[in-house]
Amino acid sequence: MADAARFEDDVTPLLPQLYSAALRLTRNASDAEDLLQETLLRAFRGYGGFKAGTNLRAWLYRILTNTFINSYRRQARQPAEVELGELEDMYLYRRLGEQSGSARSAEDQALERFVDEDVKAAVESLPENFRIPVLLADVEGFSYKEIAKIMGVPIGTVMSRLHRGRKALEKALWEFSERRGTVGSSA
Amino acid sequence: MRHSQHSCDKAQALAYRYLDGEIVWFHRIRVSRHLRRCAPCEHGYHFEEWLKQRVHDGCHEEIPTPVYERLRAVLRELPLRDDPPG
Repeated sequence: MADAARFEDDVTPLLPQLYSAALRLTRNASDAEDLLQETLLRAFRGYGGFKAGTNLRAWLYRILTNTFINSYRRQARQPAEVELGELEDMYLYRRLGEQSGSARSAEDQALERFVDEDVKAAVESLPENFRIPVLLADVEGFSYKEIAKIMGVPIGTVMSRLHRGRKALEKALWEFSERRGTVGSSA
Repeated sequence: MRHSQHSCDKAQALAYRYLDGEIVWFHRIRVSRHLRRCAPCEHGYHFEEWLKQRVHDGCHEEIPTPVYERLRAVLRELPLRDDPPG
């Protein structure tokens, strides 16, 4: 039973960050907990095949992501792949610049006023195939190579989805904040 | 003007990869040189870097203690409800 004890020791410190990721994926607390329980069970079953010394964190995120895709997407009736329209680079920076005129610091001041709820809502508004790489890169800090392994897609696909997902995130952030009145014409 | 609109477009298109540290060295050198000469692009890069940090910080979620305790119990009970790994 030494392996079971080691599994518990290895995984326990990662529970808080896994929960945070599960919550951003499922978008609600009770599904996040269910997803994490299922992930732990699957990880435990596969632990014998996990090579000690390799990246346990990436391995767990791979199981988390796959479990989410296989179990929860079907429940949520979300389409597997959603395309995003083309957006210009530095979308949010440009919008804030247009709003503030020439003052260079205006964008930074506006950014400080974005609240966490807007950030979370903007991330959660992304279609799943873009939300996952954005979460893995920006929130979890994985490299492109690690994300490619976690998602089981080529690195070029990671780059393209990350690029478009982040631009869509900037647009969503702008729209949420505008609605809230922290930026835009009513600010 | 020491740089063209084309080099601004190119630099802006490479911003994410540059800030992620996932850019090949010759692009990195070209972008760095451009940023030293182009204040608007340099400021845009700072903005993107800050935004990335803002997304990171904004998505952080504390795990509620009861959830943490329930998940720890799941971890402890895994060997009892499932075959041990190996």
